[in-house]
Amino acid sequence: MSQLDDLKNAIKGRLGELECVIGWEQGYDSLHATPLFIRSEADLDRLIIGPLAVHNLVTYLTGFKGKKVGVVVKGCDSRSVIQLLNEKLINRDDVVIFGLCCDGVVSQRKIRAALPADPGFVESVEIGASDLKVTVAGQAATLRLSDVLADKCLICDTPDAIVSDVLIGTPHTPAPAASLACQDEFEAKSDAEKFAFWQETMSRCIRCYACRNACPMCVCRDHCIATSRDPLWLSQDNSPAENMMFQMVHVSHLAGRCTECGECERACPVDIPLMLLRRYMNRQVKDVFEMQAGKVLDQTPPLLTFKVQEERINERGW
Amino acid sequence: MPAQDVRELRIVGFLCNWCSYGGADTAGVSRFTQPTDLRIIRVPCSGRIDPLFIVRSLMNGADGVLVSGCHPRDCHYAEGNFYARRRLEMLKRFLPITGIDARRFEYTWVSASEGQRWQHVVTEFTRRVHEFGPAPTFNPASEADWNALAVQAGQGQACPCHG
Amino acid sequence: MRIGVFICHCGSNIAGTVDCPSVAATALTYPDVVFSTDTMYACSEPGQDAIIQAIKDKNLDGVVVASCTPRMHEPTFRRTVERAGLNRYMFEMANIREHVSWIGKTKDLNTGKAAELVRMAVEKLRRDKPLIPKRFETVKRVLVIGGGVAGIQAALDCADGGQEVIMVEREQTIGGKMAKLDKTFPTVDCSSCVLGPKMVDVAQHPNITLYACSEIEAVGGYVGNFQITIRKKATYVNWKDCTGCGLCVEKCPSRKLPDPFNEGLCNAPSINIPFPQAIPKKAAITAASCIMLQKGKCGLCAKVCPVKCIDFEQKDELINVDVGAIVVATGYDLFDWHKYPQYGEGRYPDVITSMQYERMLSASGPTGGHVKRPSDGKEPRNVVFIQCVGSRDKSVDRPYCSGFCCMYTAKQAILTKDHIPDSQSYIFYMDIRSPGKGYDEFTRRATEEYGAQYVRGRVAMIYPKGDKLIVRGADTLAGTQVEVPADLVVLAVGAESAKGAVALGEKLRVCPDQYGFFVESHPKLKPVETNTAGVFLAGACQGPKDIPASVGQGSAAAAKVLGLLSKAMLESDPAVSRVNPARCVGCGKCIQTCPFGAIKEIQDRFGNPKAEVIDTVCQGCGICTVTCPQGAIQLEHFTDNQILAEVNALCPPKMFANYE
Repeated sequence: MSQLDDLKNAIKGRLGELECVIGWEQGYDSLHATPLFIRSEADLDRLIIGPLAVHNLVTYLTGFKGKKVGVVVKGCDSRSVIQLLNEKLINRDDVVIFGLCCDGVVSQRKIRAALPADPGFVESVEIGASDLKVTVAGQAATLRLSDVLADKCLICDTPDAIVSDVLIGTPHTPAPAASLACQDEFEAKSDAEKFAFWQETMSRCIRCYACRNACPMCVCRDHCIATSRDPLWLSQDNSPAENMMFQMVHVSHLAGRCTECGECERACPVDIPLMLLRRYMNRQVKDVFEMQAGKVLDQTPPLLTFKVQEERINERGW
Repeated sequence: MPAQDVRELRIVGFLCNWCSYGGADTAGVSRFTQPTDLRIIRVPCSGRIDPLFIVRSLMNGADGVLVSGCHPRDCHYAEGNFYARRRLEMLKRFLPITGIDARRFEYTWVSASEGQRWQHVVTEFTRRVHEFGPAPTFNPASEADWNALAVQAGQGQACPCHG
Repeated sequence: MRIGVFICHCGSNIAGTVDCPSVAATALTYPDVVFSTDTMYACSEPGQDAIIQAIKDKNLDGVVVASCTPRMHEPTFRRTVERAGLNRYMFEMANIREHVSWIGKTKDLNTGKAAELVRMAVEKLRRDKPLIPKRFETVKRVLVIGGGVAGIQAALDCADGGQEVIMVEREQTIGGKMAKLDKTFPTVDCSSCVLGPKMVDVAQHPNITLYACSEIEAVGGYVGNFQITIRKKATYVNWKDCTGCGLCVEKCPSRKLPDPFNEGLCNAPSINIPFPQAIPKKAAITAASCIMLQKGKCGLCAKVCPVKCIDFEQKDELINVDVGAIVVATGYDLFDWHKYPQYGEGRYPDVITSMQYERMLSASGPTGGHVKRPSDGKEPRNVVFIQCVGSRDKSVDRPYCSGFCCMYTAKQAILTKDHIPDSQSYIFYMDIRSPGKGYDEFTRRATEEYGAQYVRGRVAMIYPKGDKLIVRGADTLAGTQVEVPADLVVLAVGAESAKGAVALGEKLRVCPDQYGFFVESHPKLKPVETNTAGVFLAGACQGPKDIPASVGQGSAAAAKVLGLLSKAMLESDPAVSRVNPARCVGCGKCIQTCPFGAIKEIQDRFGNPKAEVIDTVCQGCGICTVTCPQGAIQLEHFTDNQILAEVNALCPPKMFANYE
């Protein structure tokens, strides 16, 4: 039996007690998946998994607060579940976790770049062991899977769900790259270059808040301080400074909480590389507090606690 | 070069009421001369200082931001500066990726009795900010600059992640 | 909104380096400012009346005063605007004295800065809201920490004032340092004759409960409602039954440890009562030297005890008590003179401290009041006193003057002559500091009537020669070097903060200074208050003090406590956090970070969890406001919008488009 069948069977067994189970189905074309809310066995037929099932479905969990739901998670997504549990934003008893052992997901952006022209509507996608065969307008192109994997998969150290009620597939022995070349390259730039980069990038931002809405840790929803009058942190002025300020709000609220699922960057319609900020902040958190969000259950987020003596914070003498 | 001799820069201070604001008062009572650039915002506790206040100041064009609270263990509210220390340290470490010079932001601890220390902190920090000069503004200053930025953004500057 | 701005000259304190009329004129251009003027002394009666008049005449609904620090006169001006019918929170202060005129030299820069600080205050005021305080009841009980003379005075005054008092003493007996003294200056009256009756009063006063051998384990709560945990240390004697007969003390075979009460001049039995007048007069066992507790055999005390009150199994006990106010009277400790190489670092037994000498002079001391050299028990002829051992010396981090050493040294010189009429005292001093009633006359008597020789200079070294100690020092008045052959050298050791003071300060949230003495609320006007409401200071824990000053502070602290607890209800500061339930998502992060347990989870009518602040418990730190990502919990009077308004006043945002 395939992994998909195992998963379907597992879901079938639990569906009766659940409001729904959140998975993926094919979206508007063969290349794009979309979330699927499984409420009946009939819905199960549409369920897909694999490299195209990119969404972090944990984003939807807090919306079901008070109801018992199931969710299908990849390794990285399971970190978001753990973080939500650690922050008591969801109740462990209210969620059934169908964990996957994930071989990586694609980056739509990389596929788009690898194809000769903007694909528009993709007719079919054949997923092989190490390549993708994408047919657009009658023409087929074969892409090496390793070339179009999402950045997060290249440095992934948690391919298998860390927490789950049912674990589907064969666990991996992860061998992640130490760091991402693009991250290192960017960090090596001078302050002036980085400043100019964000200035330019943020002038592109249309403040659609897709990054926020896709984020599994952004639980404020309608009460985000980016769009409130009291408190009034941001004006609606669409200028680089205000747009950057919003990103600073986002990164500040994610400090010690971000599970690096990459949904913000994936959701961005104007391709702002938000993960540059996230990964950098996460490394600072790891350096100072020796913890990573969503890796360990029952861990207090670092900014909600303190030590009288902080071993890794240098009290600057003045 | 004494800071007073050149154009004033914009330095925002966030001080807790019980220790550092008192320390600044002590410095005043003792007539410890300081550069005039700093403007102090009084808050009850360093635990009240949202790192985003500092970001807001920097985004609005502050050339430097100085935060000071009670020494660890001496917080009037017992734990405020312990939380502040973690929050502020995270901000300080984060700033480099944004291209904002992290040295334009500093946090320290000054007690109500440390007037001399406050004078030292203000003088040193002001000197440091003057060394860097006015901070670059995130929003362009003129219409021409706005237009240039728009053109640049339209062309798409090379992004390390997306080629 | 209609705002009035008042720029204070403070005589020439501000006007000297700030152009006040120009600041007032600039302020008039700020939004909502309808009235602006400069005034000579805003805090004076005519100054305050002018503010009240302006509020009425101009129909103001908010006032900004630019003058000194709000830590000084904010309460004054709040009362002023209240008298004019405004809510006291519709007032802001700009600190243009301590933060401007006193620290900046250039008038135009100062003037510009002052105007900006006023602008900041105006912008804050525009977002201020009237706040109404809540009222709460207080616990009518006082905790006095430390049973020295200052603590005793505070406890007795509070108890006489009708309040219940809990006294906690770390040692086995109250009395503190004063109980060890033989005589006191400048009257040379017997210390224990003065103190003894007061100690007995503490024991007998119906309003006072005494916990000796006890320390403060934890402090919770806030003014009017502190929760105290006291650790009553194991004494291995059941004090309920102990009659203080002293039979056990006589029979105890272990006498290995130096007697702390007698400053180590003799050894004490393992089970001991420190001195005959001890309060409480109960025996206690020192575990470190007790043969039974160390080796499991002996138990002689248990055998002889007529009331069978020895309990080798006794454990520390934790006692919880609620109090409304706290008096800290933890006193001081003596400087460890061994840090000085020139005094022999302890190699010469005949170099002793002033406190050891005091015990030697005392009739109830180990020598029965006879002055004897520790080395050979001989009566000394030449006694050399060295002052400022651990005082006024930066090299040992004790730059302050301990204040009372000059006086007790003069007293000890006088007593030396009384005890040994043919003796000669030499006193090495830096300056004689005797500012007190009858103090200077007293030091003069020491030289004029008792022949004490004062040598102005420091001692460079002490070395033995035969059975004498040669004290070599400088006589800076004569400009020569002097050598005095001494039979006994007494070091006037200075005062330093009590051991454990800093740790206690952390529990009480009272700030110690760099030497560990507690910092008072204002050096001149609030000498016994601290920055933590409901916690008061008495005696040498605030800084070195002699007995009259300590007693005075004990009474002063008691007066403050009685004033506080005389009110049926206290008003809480309304600048506390408030939850906007519409924005709260019930994540509970604020509950997790609140240091005071002032936030609880409630359910709204739909059953959704929400945070709610307990007004009287909230101390107004604002940790929660920063914790809350939605900004749903806001610290009143320091809301995000109010602070952001100040930020935006200082650094106006640069807009993409002109929206006006």
